[in-house]
Amino acid sequence: MLPQNDSRRLRTRPPRGRLGAALAALAVLLSACGGSADAGGGAAGEPQSGGTLAIGIESDTDVLDPHRAGGWVTYRVNRQMYEALVDEDLTKSSEEAPIPEIVPGLAESWDISPDGLTYTFHLRDGVTFHDGTEFNADAVVFNVRRMTDPGFEYYDARSAGQTVFVWQHLASVTATDPMTVQMTLTQPFSPFLRLLTQGGGGSTGIISPTALQQYGNDEIADHPTGTGPFRFVDRVRGQRITLERNDDYWGEKPYLDQVVFRPLPDPSTRVSALRAGEVDMISVPSPDSVASLEEAGFTVDYSNAPHLWYLSFNMTDPIFSDVRVRQAVNYAINREGMAEDLLRGTVNPAYSVLPPANSAYQENQETYAYDPERARQLLAEAGYADGFSTTLMTSVDGSGQIVPVPMAEYIQQDLAKVGIDVQLDTTEWISYLSKWAEGLPPGTGMGQMSWGMTTPYWINIVTNSSLQAPNGSNVGHYSNPELDALMQQAATATDEATADELWRQAAQMIDQDAALAPIVNDKAPYVLSGDVQGFVNPSEEWWDLKTVWLS
Amino acid sequence: MAGYLLRRLGGMVLVLLGVSLLVFLIMQLVPGDPARTLLGPTATAEAIAAVRQDLGLNQPLVNQYLDYLGGLLRGDLNNSLVMAQPVTEIVFPKLGNTIILAAGALVICLVVGVPLGVLAATRQYSLFDRGAMFLSLAGASVPVYWAALVAISIFALQLGWLPTSGMYDVRNPGGFGDLLLHLVLPAATAAVVPTAVIARLTRSVMVEALQQDHIRMLRANGVSERQIVWRHALRNALPPIVNIVGLQVGYLLGGVIFIEVVFSWPGLGGQLYTSITANDMPIIQAGVLFIAVVFVVVNLVADIVVALLDPRTREAVR
Repeated sequence: MLPQNDSRRLRTRPPRGRLGAALAALAVLLSACGGSADAGGGAAGEPQSGGTLAIGIESDTDVLDPHRAGGWVTYRVNRQMYEALVDEDLTKSSEEAPIPEIVPGLAESWDISPDGLTYTFHLRDGVTFHDGTEFNADAVVFNVRRMTDPGFEYYDARSAGQTVFVWQHLASVTATDPMTVQMTLTQPFSPFLRLLTQGGGGSTGIISPTALQQYGNDEIADHPTGTGPFRFVDRVRGQRITLERNDDYWGEKPYLDQVVFRPLPDPSTRVSALRAGEVDMISVPSPDSVASLEEAGFTVDYSNAPHLWYLSFNMTDPIFSDVRVRQAVNYAINREGMAEDLLRGTVNPAYSVLPPANSAYQENQETYAYDPERARQLLAEAGYADGFSTTLMTSVDGSGQIVPVPMAEYIQQDLAKVGIDVQLDTTEWISYLSKWAEGLPPGTGMGQMSWGMTTPYWINIVTNSSLQAPNGSNVGHYSNPELDALMQQAATATDEATADELWRQAAQMIDQDAALAPIVNDKAPYVLSGDVQGFVNPSEEWWDLKTVWLS
Repeated sequence: MAGYLLRRLGGMVLVLLGVSLLVFLIMQLVPGDPARTLLGPTATAEAIAAVRQDLGLNQPLVNQYLDYLGGLLRGDLNNSLVMAQPVTEIVFPKLGNTIILAAGALVICLVVGVPLGVLAATRQYSLFDRGAMFLSLAGASVPVYWAALVAISIFALQLGWLPTSGMYDVRNPGGFGDLLLHLVLPAATAAVVPTAVIARLTRSVMVEALQQDHIRMLRANGVSERQIVWRHALRNALPPIVNIVGLQVGYLLGGVIFIEVVFSWPGLGGQLYTSITANDMPIIQAGVLFIAVVFVVVNLVADIVVALLDPRTREAVR
C-alpha cells in the first residue's frame, strides 16, 4: 500500500479455485524439482551459471537507497544489493513456509538479554562491501546513526522518517569490539528482529560508510554500495536497472551473471514483452492474460504474502460506534462469493486482521462466516431494523488495491440485502491516500485500504489509540484501552511464544469487537518463461534472486 | 524582421512566465503532502514536520515561487523531492527521449501526410482522393491506445519484426540501429492522427491553390503539370501547411504521453505522470515548462519559415 511507486497497481488475479490451487502447487513442485513448466522443454537438470535475467516490473523504482526508499517495487531491487543484520529465509515458498523464518544476515548470531533490553549482534567475518570497504561494527553504527541520531554528520531525516517504527525504542548503539554491535532499547520490543528484516517502508540494509562519505546522503542512491549477492552496474531512468553477480559475495554466489529490472507500467505491455521474450518474468499480469499465458507454456507462481484488503469503521460515527452494527456488516459480506465469483479465486477470503503470513496467525478462525440473517438480527437489536444510510470510501486504483471499485460495489450489494444503503465515495489513488491518512471524515462510516506485514505488530499500527489519524494509520479512530494494554504487553514481551500468544489475543479482541472488517488476502502472481528455474515466491512482498538460474 | 523577432521573443517570455505560475498554483490545489508521500503511511507527525522543513515546504507560497523563479534565472531548477537529484539530470534525458519520439513521428507525418494531400488534391473526387480522405478521417478518429495495442500485436507478437516496447534491448543495449528498431512502432502510431490532419489540410489548401489565376496562366503557358503542382501550387499552399505542422508538434508532444505509456518509452510524459502522482513539484514545473518552451519555439520557427516563404506575411508583421 506504499504510495511512492504505485508499487502494485492493477494487481490482477488469474483464476484459482481448485484448478488454480492445483496449478500453483504444480508450479511449486516443478520449480522445486528443477523441471521446466514448458511441456516440450524437457528436464532442466542441474542449475547452471550464466545468463541475464530480465524482469518486467510494474513501475520504475524510486531511490536505490535502502534507508530512504519506500515501496515494495524499490525494495525488490534494493534487497538484491543490500543486506541487513538479520534476514528472512526467502528460499521457501508459501506452501513450504507460511511465515519466512528469521535467519542470520550480516550478523552471524545474536544474543538478547533476558530483560529484552540489550541485543548483541556478532557480525559475520570477512564480508566486504562492493567498493572493497571492510564490513565491521563501525559500519553498522554509522548506518544506524544515519537513521536515528540527529547530531550525526550523516543523519538523514528522510531515512529516519521511513524507519521510525524499527528504531522507535532504540536507546543506544555501540561497537563493543570490531565485530560486535550492542543495541540497547528503552523497553523490550518483541517485533524488533522481524522489523529489521522488513523493507516496504524504509529498510535497515547496511550501506558502505566509505561510499556514504564519498557521495553524501542524496547521491548515494546513484551509487548503491552494499554487501549483497548482486552489485550495481547502471541505471537508466525509465529504461533499466542492471545488476551483476558479486563474485566476492560471502555466501552462496548467485547463478545469474546479470539481472535487469525493466519498468513496464502498462499491464498489457508487460505481457507483450514477456510473450516476445524481451523479458523472462513479469509481476502483476493483466487478469485476462493469465489463462492464455499458461496455455502458452508460461508458469504462474502465487504466494501468500501478508496483504489484507480491509475496511476500517468510523468510531466517531454514532451508528458505527455500536459494535452490533460493525458485526452486522462483517456478517453481511459474502467473502467467499467475492473471492470466487468476482475475483475468480485469485485471493483468499480473510476473516482475521492477522494475515496468514504471520507468527500469530490462527487457522480456521471464521469469526464472521457469511450470515445475512444474523446481520439483520444484530441490526434490529441495535435499533436499525429498517436499515440506515452511510458512505464507504475507497480508491479508484492504486498499489495493491486489487480492483477496489468492483469490490466496493460487491460490498454495497451485500449490505443492501440487509437494509444498509451504502453510497460509494471513490477517489484517485494518491489523493485517496492523503484523504485516508487524515482519518475517516464525519458521515463516512467505512474506509478501505490494503496492507499487512509479516509481524503481528502491524495490528498495533492500525488500531492503537495513540496512533489515531492524522498522527498514525488508525484511520477509524478506534480506541480500546484494554487492547492498547494487551498490545503493549505483546510488544514488550521477552519471549516469542508469549508475544505470539498475546498478539493472538489482541487479534481476537479486534475481531470480536469488529474494529476492522478484513475482506480478502491477496496472492502475488508472477509469470515466468520456461527458461527461468529456481524462482521462489515466498510469503513476502519481495524475493531473492540468488537461487534463480536460466536453462 | 528583427523587430518582429524581438516582439515574438518578448511574448514568449511572458507566456512561459504565465505557464510556470499557473503550474505552481494548480499544484497547490492538488491534495496531499509531498512529505507524507515520501515517508509512507507509517510516518509520524514529527517525521513529516522534519522532512517538510528539510524540503522548504514550510515557506510561504510567495517565497517558494520567487525562490523557484530566482533559481530558474540562474539555471538551477532545484532537486527532485522524491529522487533528491537535480531536476535537470532527470528531466533533460527524458525530454530528449520525447523529442526523439516526436521527431520520428513528425518525419512520418511529413513524408506521408503532405504527398498524400497533394496527390488527393490533384485527383479531386477520384477513387484515390476518396480513399485517402476516408483513411485520413478514420486515422484522425482512431484511439491512439487501441492503435498501439493492435500495432504491437501484429508487428511485434505475430510477425516478430519489431520489439514490443522500450528504447533499447535491455539485455544487450545496442547503438543507433537498436534505437531505430525500437522507434518504428511508437513513432508510426504517434504519427497516425497528425498525418491524417496534415493530409486533409494539405488537400484542401492545394485544391484552392490549384484554382488560382496564376496557375491557370501557367497551364496556358504550357508548364508541365508536375512543375505546376509541386513547384508553383505547393509553394503557395505551404504557409498554412507549415502552420498546422507547427501546431501538430504541440499535439505530438502532448499526445506521445499515451504512446510512451503503451510502449514504455522513457519520455517526459511518463515521468510527469509519475511525478504528479508523487507530488514532485520541481519535476512537474520543469517538465511542463520545457514542453511549453519546445511548443512556443517550434511555433516561432514555423512563423519565421512562413515569413520567409511568403513575403506578404513579412509586410503584415512589420
